[in-house]
Amino acid sequence: MAVATSHYLILSAILFSIGVAGVLTRRNAIVIFMCIELMLNAVNLAFVAFARHLGQADGQVFVFFVMAVAAAEVAVGLAIIIAVFRNRETVDVAEVNLLKW
Amino acid sequence: METAVFYVLATIAVASAVLLVLFRNPVYSALSLVATLFAVAGLFVLLNAYFLAAVQIIVYAGAVMVLFLFVIMLLNLGHSEALESTVGRYRLTGVIFLCALLVAQLTAVGTRQLRGPVAENEALRTENVQTLGKLLYTDFLFPFEVASIILLVALIGVVVLVKRETPETT
Amino acid sequence: MLLDYANVLLFLSVGSFFIVFNLFLGSLFRPDNPDPEKLSTYECGEEPVGGSWIQFNIRFYVVALDFIIFDVEVVLLYPWAVVAQEFGWYGFGVAFVFIFILLLGLAFAWKKGTLEWVRPKVDRFRDTMTRPLVEEAA
Repeated sequence: MAVATSHYLILSAILFSIGVAGVLTRRNAIVIFMCIELMLNAVNLAFVAFARHLGQADGQVFVFFVMAVAAAEVAVGLAIIIAVFRNRETVDVAEVNLLKW
Repeated sequence: METAVFYVLATIAVASAVLLVLFRNPVYSALSLVATLFAVAGLFVLLNAYFLAAVQIIVYAGAVMVLFLFVIMLLNLGHSEALESTVGRYRLTGVIFLCALLVAQLTAVGTRQLRGPVAENEALRTENVQTLGKLLYTDFLFPFEVASIILLVALIGVVVLVKRETPETT
Repeated sequence: MLLDYANVLLFLSVGSFFIVFNLFLGSLFRPDNPDPEKLSTYECGEEPVGGSWIQFNIRFYVVALDFIIFDVEVVLLYPWAVVAQEFGWYGFGVAFVFIFILLLGLAFAWKKGTLEWVRPKVDRFRDTMTRPLVEEAA
């Protein structure tokens, strides 16, 4: 007996909401970044659940590309965090509120 | 049996996701995100996405999380922070927004036809990688090549960003 | 297919049960004599200096970044390799374009010197990777 698709979607919704809550409440830029990864994973889960529900492989290919883009995004984002830390010596997003000093 | 495994994995995923937000030490946050990623990989297996489960562990748990831990160590952030410097002023707004979002998502998801039986696709289950590979060649050829350009741009961007500008230009 | 993964699940659960059970068993029998000296890094001899959280060289990070890009490349090429024979020269061309674009990035990183572990003596670009991450205010 396979688990219904709606269960996977509800789990995905919960994970996504936790990620949103983390982005909204945390101030450490790296933790915010990890919460974004969590949201991407929740979306991936929904994609794969729909791929099984519809019997099509397209959803799995989408997840594939999401993962590739996420890896590129992490590389550039963390490099930006390092660059910000070099200039400001902080990763607190509340203190990094000016684009130029 | 499958239902039991699903609920165990879902509990692990949600619990470690909550811990990711609540931990004050970024290293603990990173490790609980690893736990979430492994649980999601297990769910991928339950959904017959065997290749994606492997990719999830190789790319996310293997490479992305190592990068996160590198940055935490590099910037010397591996110590707990005070609560007021961890959680922003918008905590209440965030929680309210979270509840609203969750309710909206659950009502959108709770439609009837999603509880019905799933469509059968024998090829997707038995020849997972082959099916994905053929799709990459035919329908998704252009995104496949564009993905390499994205990776190229990321590589160049990182090389430029990590290199320090000369003091004259700052 | 899914049943094959039940083996993985079985190994995972038996493995974690083994660890937890043995730790629990050990806690029943071992003597309990806490002493601050037992927690020190070296119980005798060296006095450790400073903390164990050290800031390490940024060059590790650049190598890790290069790794992640080409890790994703390999993952994207794996489904290609599985079905490549069915597509013949067309499939070869697809992968050739893909790899060629990423080779441009590798060439760029190589030219910029991020792949070199020991920096060359002649520093034409005034590259400053070897400097400390945060400079003291002048």
